[in-house]
Amino acid sequence: MSFSLAHALTGLFWLGALLLLGGLARRASLWQQGHSASVSWLGLLAMPKRYFVDIHHVVAREPAVARAHVAAAGGGVAILLLSALNYGLMLYQGWLDVLLVLMAAVMLLGARMMQARRLQAPPRLSQGRWQVLPARLRLFALGSLLAAGLLFAGPQMGMAGQLIAVAALLMLALGGAELALGIGLGWPMKHAVAGLLHLAFHPRAERFAGKSSDLKPLNLAAGELGVAKVEDFAWNRLLSFDACVQCGKCEAACPAYAAGQPLNPKKLIQDMVAAQSRGTDPAYAGNPHPGREAAVVVKPGEDIVGSVLAAETLWSCTTCRACVENCPMLIEHVDTVVNLRRHVTLSRGEVPGKGSEALANLRNTDTVGGYPLAVRYHWAIDLDLPVLQPGDQTEWLLLAGEGAFDMRYQRALRALVKVLKAAGVKVAVLGAAERDCGDVARRLGDEAGFQRLAKANIATLAQYRFDRIVTPDPHVFHCLANEYPAFGGQFEVWHHSKLLEHLLARRAIPLKADATPLPPLTFHDPCYLGRYNDGFNAPRNVLKGIGIKVVDMQRSGRDARCCGWGGGAAFTDIPGQRRIPDMRMDDIRETGTGRVAVACPNCTAMLEGVVGERADVIELAELVAERLA
Amino acid sequence: MRYPHLFAPITLNKLTLRNRVVSTAHAEVYAEPGGLPGDRYIRYYEEKAKGGLGLAICGGSSPVSIDSPQSWWKSVNLATDAIIDPLARLAEAMHRHGAKIMIQATHMGRRSSYYGEHWPHLVSPSGIREPVHRGNAKVIEQHEIRRIIADFAQAARRVKAAGMDGIEISAAHQHLIDQFWSPRTNFRTDEWGGSFENRLRFGVEVLNAVRAEVGPDFCVGLRMCGDEFHEDGLSHDMLKDIAAAMSETGLIDYLSVVGSGADTHNTLANCMPPMALPPEPFVHLAAGIKSVSKVPVMHAQSIRDPVQAERILASGMVDMVGMTRAHIADPHLVIKIRDGKEDQIRQCVGANYCIDRQYHGQDVLCIQNAATSREATMPHDIAKADKLRKVVVVGAGPAGLEAARVARERGHEVVLFEKQPQVGGQIVLAAKAPQREQMAGIVRWLDMETQRLGVDRRLGVAADKAMILAEKPDIVVLATGGIPYTSQVPDWGVEEGVAVSSWDILSGKVEPGKNVLVYDAVSTQAGFGVADFLSSRGSTVEIVTPDVKVGDDTGGTTFPIFYRRLYAQGIIPTPNFWLDKVYAEGDKKIAVLRNEYTEALEERAVDQVVIENGILPNDSLYWDMKELSKNQGQTDVHTLFASQPQPSLSQPLAAGEFLLFRVGDCISMHNIHGAIYDALRLVKDF
Ligand SMILES: Cc1cc2nc3c(=O)[nH]c(=O)nc-3n(C[C@H](O)[C@H](O)[C@H](O)COP(=O)(O)O)c2cc1C
Ligand code: SF4
Ligand code: SF4
Ligand code: SF4
Repeated sequence: MSFSLAHALTGLFWLGALLLLGGLARRASLWQQGHSASVSWLGLLAMPKRYFVDIHHVVAREPAVARAHVAAAGGGVAILLLSALNYGLMLYQGWLDVLLVLMAAVMLLGARMMQARRLQAPPRLSQGRWQVLPARLRLFALGSLLAAGLLFAGPQMGMAGQLIAVAALLMLALGGAELALGIGLGWPMKHAVAGLLHLAFHPRAERFAGKSSDLKPLNLAAGELGVAKVEDFAWNRLLSFDACVQCGKCEAACPAYAAGQPLNPKKLIQDMVAAQSRGTDPAYAGNPHPGREAAVVVKPGEDIVGSVLAAETLWSCTTCRACVENCPMLIEHVDTVVNLRRHVTLSRGEVPGKGSEALANLRNTDTVGGYPLAVRYHWAIDLDLPVLQPGDQTEWLLLAGEGAFDMRYQRALRALVKVLKAAGVKVAVLGAAERDCGDVARRLGDEAGFQRLAKANIATLAQYRFDRIVTPDPHVFHCLANEYPAFGGQFEVWHHSKLLEHLLARRAIPLKADATPLPPLTFHDPCYLGRYNDGFNAPRNVLKGIGIKVVDMQRSGRDARCCGWGGGAAFTDIPGQRRIPDMRMDDIRETGTGRVAVACPNCTAMLEGVVGERADVIELAELVAERLA
Repeated sequence: MRYPHLFAPITLNKLTLRNRVVSTAHAEVYAEPGGLPGDRYIRYYEEKAKGGLGLAICGGSSPVSIDSPQSWWKSVNLATDAIIDPLARLAEAMHRHGAKIMIQATHMGRRSSYYGEHWPHLVSPSGIREPVHRGNAKVIEQHEIRRIIADFAQAARRVKAAGMDGIEISAAHQHLIDQFWSPRTNFRTDEWGGSFENRLRFGVEVLNAVRAEVGPDFCVGLRMCGDEFHEDGLSHDMLKDIAAAMSETGLIDYLSVVGSGADTHNTLANCMPPMALPPEPFVHLAAGIKSVSKVPVMHAQSIRDPVQAERILASGMVDMVGMTRAHIADPHLVIKIRDGKEDQIRQCVGANYCIDRQYHGQDVLCIQNAATSREATMPHDIAKADKLRKVVVVGAGPAGLEAARVARERGHEVVLFEKQPQVGGQIVLAAKAPQREQMAGIVRWLDMETQRLGVDRRLGVAADKAMILAEKPDIVVLATGGIPYTSQVPDWGVEEGVAVSSWDILSGKVEPGKNVLVYDAVSTQAGFGVADFLSSRGSTVEIVTPDVKVGDDTGGTTFPIFYRRLYAQGIIPTPNFWLDKVYAEGDKKIAVLRNEYTEALEERAVDQVVIENGILPNDSLYWDMKELSKNQGQTDVHTLFASQPQPSLSQPLAAGEFLLFRVGDCISMHNIHGAIYDALRLVKDF
């Protein structure tokens, strides 16, 4: 009896393994639609670290789920490994059976926890097969437990034993089908295989070594114009989509989704899955793009945008990275959004709203708003800021960015210059030689425009000698610090929050002596400073340094909600149920402080653009300037 | 980008201005004895610099020579080296806030009064008398011309030595240089008169001497007229030729252009266009000059709001906008534009209280902004109080509105009662007069500010003692204004309805009669206003006053506007008569007039007699509450006049105790400035 159960298990194991391999081969053939990518096979070696460290960083933010997953997945993997040894290799060792029973118990527990969570599933979780997965895993775990237990107990179990054995095998077959067929049929357990491979061959492998939030250049000379069809993705990008567990963390974090704009990042990823699998996977059972049908019709061979994906979905994204930051599978939504936009912009020239006007302005004037470059520093005329001439030298080069054309933001710029001067910082500007950094062009998909501006700015900057660049604009900061290096522009760039923090720490800014307590306020993290560059502490330290208490919003720091400007969204302006800045103002209101500090010209404009009663919007530098002795 | 043209810097010679907004030269009448700017003067300008303007040109008509009098109108005296230090202090103060500062230098020639100080003999190219200032003058001689040219150079040296940013030479408003230009005043046949070149010679030599003194890099401007509006004066075409020739010399860095001559009462009124004139009435003259000028052109004349200024600049008519009275009314104008607070600008309404005072040799004050030129004691930005109180203000005329505004700015809880359904008090009536509509602008700002600041306004509520006490106030400010003082002479018969008050007419309570006699016993704007109101509605109007002329107590730029209308509409002016009695006879009213000088009686049979006799304080609430108040309703005048807090404010108030004050006409009849100043100086310390 025990003989036959053991052999049945061996058979089942190999059957499963074969099915899985077959499924993987099928899936891999889908990934192969994508073009080649330079990946390192060493990634396979790095996989465990990436799994246990990098993913853990994300998952640990939800400890209960993390524990359930550790138990279920850890138990499951252990069962598979132990089964491979004990049954696959036909060792049939009693002590391995004991271990298997233990691991099966662990997995059972994990699957139970998951199932319990499914009873009150948050709406962000997909239903369908995902909803029944924990039960299937329980079956598998229970089957393993019973089978291994029976084997250990030996043949003396008699008739009852036989019945249990049959039941256990049935459970194993049913539950194991999830594991074995998942990858092949696009069922939930696809994520385990694809997820691990994704970790090994991640399209942004450098993110495991440190921050990586820069967009990658297109090789325009080689005719790269972004992604039109599935084939235009790299194969490992297609693989990355298959790692998605439809947990909806991205959906819950997405400001566009919350505003009722037609973008659900989870659905966006699933749309890509649908495109690459040509609709052969089970139907999507999660929330749709707001205001749209969930079902998609895949027409193989057609462009993604316009068939699987509506253009409005693409243009709703603010590139805020909240989705990326929250994705436990380390999927990079923003790359995909921008890659798709690149095609729409560069090949079709279909940029909605004021987006095309912004791009035309950039082409014609090197500014987003269509201003003459010569007027960028008009606000500084009475501040005696040196305008560098080629060959000149300065310690700090201030790049004011597009905010310099906005009269409201000029107040912040003046405050910044005032503070820097009071601190004895030697700062100069480029005057009419400063062009737009290219952020808007790039995020709107105009990679050619971006590259032109980046190269022009790099050439300009090469004519001057300066130690460091400082800018109050996180977009300028991000472009120069992270995206210009790909074009040979290596600069030390500081966001002004860091410089102010540095100066305050050194007590270089003469502050008022009076200790009257200042009213508390809340701080709105700019995406391009915070999530893009981990600049969470500097602005808070600045506020602390001038004696202001920060009452953080529910969504702050890493979880801060975008103001709605980024990625050119303020220009494309896709309608939704609400406006993102209005929601952000609600977040601010909840703190009860009535004042919000900002550290970005665009956040300033978006939040001040909120109509009706609203909190006072004050730039970091303005707050410091108010405290100047 | 808002206001791209307004905020575009401009460079004049080596001088870069941060924006295009200029406070052009005006005689401030603030200089200390000897014609030296003191603390008041410097603070007045520093406030504008803080307020963000690009350039201020101070010292309107500052004389360069000792025979161009300055003392009777407390002008800046450029004829002495003692001016260098004070100007240096001024320049330093302006530069601290990023503004530039120049000064206007001139010799007024005949355009002054000879009496006073040195009793000089005024000089003019042909010794023609100037009527407005009764400026009798002698024919200027060669060596006097040479001396004055040298004086200009010396003045320029002082200005440069003080670290000022430039000097503007005045050839406008009929000063000595344009007295040489103008065919009205120059009949010489020597090298200083006759041909075009000869008439320009004096001005060119002045500029040559100035340029030689200051060098090529110092900003030198020239102010000139764009049309004298006299048959025998400089026409626009002549002035275009002059402008072209002057810009051709290469001696000047900009031209500032104004419309209108200034040597008669009627032309003078155009120079500071009063509210009766349309916005920027003479910008076309500046644009004409710009069409021939090689240097940038500046223009000031009723450019009062930012959108207007931006439009004028954008249209390319001029390069710089003077917003001079606009800055007298609100020195923080530019910052408010910059910060998107246009709605908070206290906009000049062209009431010309400022210039009308100047023409009487009185210090320039703004009708609506009592802090202007009182920067040492009166705040433009009102700080929060340490101790917060409950303030009840009764009456929403200018005094009450200002009291409520200031108290609220201080942070107090403020309730404002007004029995009318709208705010504004007597100004609402004043604005009913034809061409006086803009008086309502004074109310508009106070109305908007009290709303913006969150004053609890109870309009249409006639507050009584009980209602006020029910608010549990710490301080009560009564600003209940007055009622028409028609009861002064019972024989006028207002009580009986034989005559009516000017308020009855302006408010629409009484229909205008066909044939109306307006009796104006006070000669302010009100009397003429009601006469004009009636005449504009078809009444035949005679205006009678015991004063020497109709509208005698209105200023030099105000009465000419009245007179234009008076003569155009056939209003009959009858000065020097008292109104003794009015009685009814049939369907007519008989007005008995008595000549001030002959005692002769005259009678008029009319359909309606309208009385303007100022107001009687409306103080019944005061007498109701005086005894109840802790300070017995008394304002301590020593501390008030010293701009100090009232002593009673520092005493603790027990429950139910309150302080009582009054401001404005409910004490005795003042003008709008008086009402607003009363409120500001008292309430700023609450
Ligand atoms: C009180 C006052 C005094 C003035 N005195 C002078 C003067 O001395 N010289 C001069 O060139 N203009 C003088 N002006 C004219 C102003 O420079 C300016 O041209 C005029 O006020 C019209 O501009 P605005 O409408 O912006 O006020 C004076 C104006 C005012 C209100
Ligand atoms: S980047 Fe921001 S806006 Fe775009 S999909 Fe992600 S969360 Fe949504
Ligand atoms: S993309 Fe990432 S965060 Fe979004 S549903 Fe998939 S796994 Fe979850
Ligand atoms: S007094 Fe009248 S004209 Fe003069 S600045 Fe004030 S509001 Fe303007």
